[in-house]
Amino acid sequence: MATVASHSASSSVSTKGWFAQRHTNRVQEIFAGYLFVLPAALSLFVFLVAPILAAFVLVFMRYDVLSPPEYVGLHNLNQLFADTRLREIYWNTVRFVVFATLFNNLLGLLLAMGVNRTMHAAVKYLLRTALFFPVLTTTASLALVWNFLLTQDRGVINFLLQQIGLEPVPWLSSSSWAMVSVVLFDVWRACGFLMVIYLAGLQAIPESLYEAASIDGANQFQRMRYITLPLLSPTAFFALIVSLIGAAQVFDNVWVLTGGGPADATRLIVLYIYEIGFKRFEMGYAAAVSLTLFLILIGLTLFQFRMSRRWVHYD
Amino acid sequence: MSTLHETLGKQQLSRRDLLRWSAFATTGALLAACAPGVAPSGATTGDSAPAQAKVRIVATTQMPIEQWQPAVERAVDQLPEVDLVLTQTNISEGGWAGYSDRIVTQIAGGEQLDVIMIAIEGLGLLTDKKILVPLDDFFLADPTEKAILDNDIHPVLREMLQVDGKQMEYPFSWNNMVMYYNTAVFEEAGVEPPTTEWNWDDFLDTCLKVANVQGNADDRYAYSFWGNGMFGMAAWYFNNDTSPLNDSWTESNLMDPKVAETLQFMADLILKHKVAPNPQGWEEWAQFHAGHLAMRTCGRWCIASSLNENFTTYDLQYQPHRAGPLRTVAGTDGWGIAGATKSPDAAWSVTKFLSNKDASIDMTTSGGNIPTLRSVAELPLFAEYGPANTAIFYESLDYAKTVPSPKNFNIVDPILNRHYQTIWNGEKSVEEALAAADAEVRVEMEKLQAGRSSFAGVSTNKLAAACGCAQ
Repeated sequence: MATVASHSASSSVSTKGWFAQRHTNRVQEIFAGYLFVLPAALSLFVFLVAPILAAFVLVFMRYDVLSPPEYVGLHNLNQLFADTRLREIYWNTVRFVVFATLFNNLLGLLLAMGVNRTMHAAVKYLLRTALFFPVLTTTASLALVWNFLLTQDRGVINFLLQQIGLEPVPWLSSSSWAMVSVVLFDVWRACGFLMVIYLAGLQAIPESLYEAASIDGANQFQRMRYITLPLLSPTAFFALIVSLIGAAQVFDNVWVLTGGGPADATRLIVLYIYEIGFKRFEMGYAAAVSLTLFLILIGLTLFQFRMSRRWVHYD
Repeated sequence: MSTLHETLGKQQLSRRDLLRWSAFATTGALLAACAPGVAPSGATTGDSAPAQAKVRIVATTQMPIEQWQPAVERAVDQLPEVDLVLTQTNISEGGWAGYSDRIVTQIAGGEQLDVIMIAIEGLGLLTDKKILVPLDDFFLADPTEKAILDNDIHPVLREMLQVDGKQMEYPFSWNNMVMYYNTAVFEEAGVEPPTTEWNWDDFLDTCLKVANVQGNADDRYAYSFWGNGMFGMAAWYFNNDTSPLNDSWTESNLMDPKVAETLQFMADLILKHKVAPNPQGWEEWAQFHAGHLAMRTCGRWCIASSLNENFTTYDLQYQPHRAGPLRTVAGTDGWGIAGATKSPDAAWSVTKFLSNKDASIDMTTSGGNIPTLRSVAELPLFAEYGPANTAIFYESLDYAKTVPSPKNFNIVDPILNRHYQTIWNGEKSVEEALAAADAEVRVEMEKLQAGRSSFAGVSTNKLAAACGCAQ
């Protein structure tokens, strides 16, 4: 009995010790875990959360970056309704976002389907690299090259047009053509990125489904309609969200290519925010305009998620 | 918690320990990276090394950085107490308005700038933001430099860099705008070179004779101009006895009929006579050197690219004249001392050093601006680095008129440029564009007079109402 009691006691101590040790290990593990995410959390806070919070505060301030901020209540928000340029600039942004997103995704998908076809490996890699190359190059240098190409007088493209008897086009100097040029440039520069995304989606579709469909007598259009598009829909959904947000935030394209001109014809919202903040030093009003963009992007993304239930197939 | 030593001593590193120490190391590295530097800026390398004051200067990219290299090398011997750090800030986008915006942003971002190059166009903003300190006390304590300022620098240039009677900068260089013309093209077209007395009719006649625009690779435009930028446009306004702003730069003068007349003349060169290209995206110098452009308006700084290209078949003439007294637009730049400098005496030493005769000669020989020091401008080498008629650069000073440079230049200049673009591309008539520009400029000038340097507090509805036109 004594032995049993002793064993029982020691067993009880051992169990308590095991629990205590387990508890200590658990605490240490949690501590280590938090410690591990601390750098990322700190970075996120310093570079993302804090500026967003600061922007919300700045909306109610007049701040010229050198003088101390001054509380002005709702003045900057009222200014949003009085700023007549803002409406035109938002309209420019809407047009740019719609056309850039549409053409980037269409062309990206077509290119992905093109390079996904059976062809010699060397040709395939060369094509993929060539199409992706604009994504790797800095936008500023690309825009400079396009500037030389598109200049109305003695620009390369107009020179070629004139050689075949056509009139030169005011690509960058006309308000209507400048937006076309900016969209063209963006599609040329960014569709390679979407091509890669769509290509990954296409390659994830099991070949066996196509084989089964072929055996059942499905033609190419039917395979596309009933296999490729439904199974590609999660990829397309991701690509649409990424490209739409990216298009709404475009800055460097227009900054280098047109500077927002002629007049305000290609001035997009992010460029306008930059100019209000860093050219006019109206940080409060710049924060107010940023807030509108923030809310619009959140709204659009939520709308896309809601609509995705109708056309995105995850199975 | 086990220590690393114990863990390593046991030669067993569990997954948990690995994660833990990795987290410690990463956090430590991040905190170390975020921590401010602990080394003092004037740290010495040994007991015998003299303490050096670090002086950070910022120049524009208008002149290549190599131009300053000899001065930096001379500073090693002549200013041993100073650790001179040379930086440049971009001026090519937005001109002086964009440059002064960037300087303000750099300072707001915590960058320590001690000596700043700025021209009259940006001086108002930097003074308004209290970035620069007056140099009068430095000059008073330094009779040698005061004598140079008073006797070797033209009063017009000196006074351009004064605000409320205080000398805010040490004048270093200046520019006006003259007509550059390709002598080979003129000879080929059988056109006589322009004379000092030429007027706008003579100019147009010359344009029609030298232009050859057929839409092919051999096209030759007669003239191209800065379609934006106060300096480039003022060269034309002043020669029609007008200006976009009133003489005190406090009100818009855009509704003056002579402003419209000037713009119409220039728009006609593009849209009616088709002898000038739309300035948007047009690369003037490459076309001028290639013989595809016969004339252009520029200051002395444009000589630099011709020197680099070994291009010599060109000469200079004054801008053609229309009405009022003969004028040339002028603007001066110089070195100012930042109020935030930690070493004002060293900053003054550097300011003097970068304004001296040697630095001016460096600039002259690289084809840069016109030196403010008369003693350098009158040296034979000034004439050597330029075409035959290069003397007109300095001679024009007596009838120079200062480029309009209100305190809100960085806001007014982009407004004008934005509306000029709609004239050059033919989308708006001169009258429509001027009405829209005038409405915006008037609002900004009202704010300036009310002591507000930004558009907060003034409704843009007021602007639309004043304009009476679609924005």
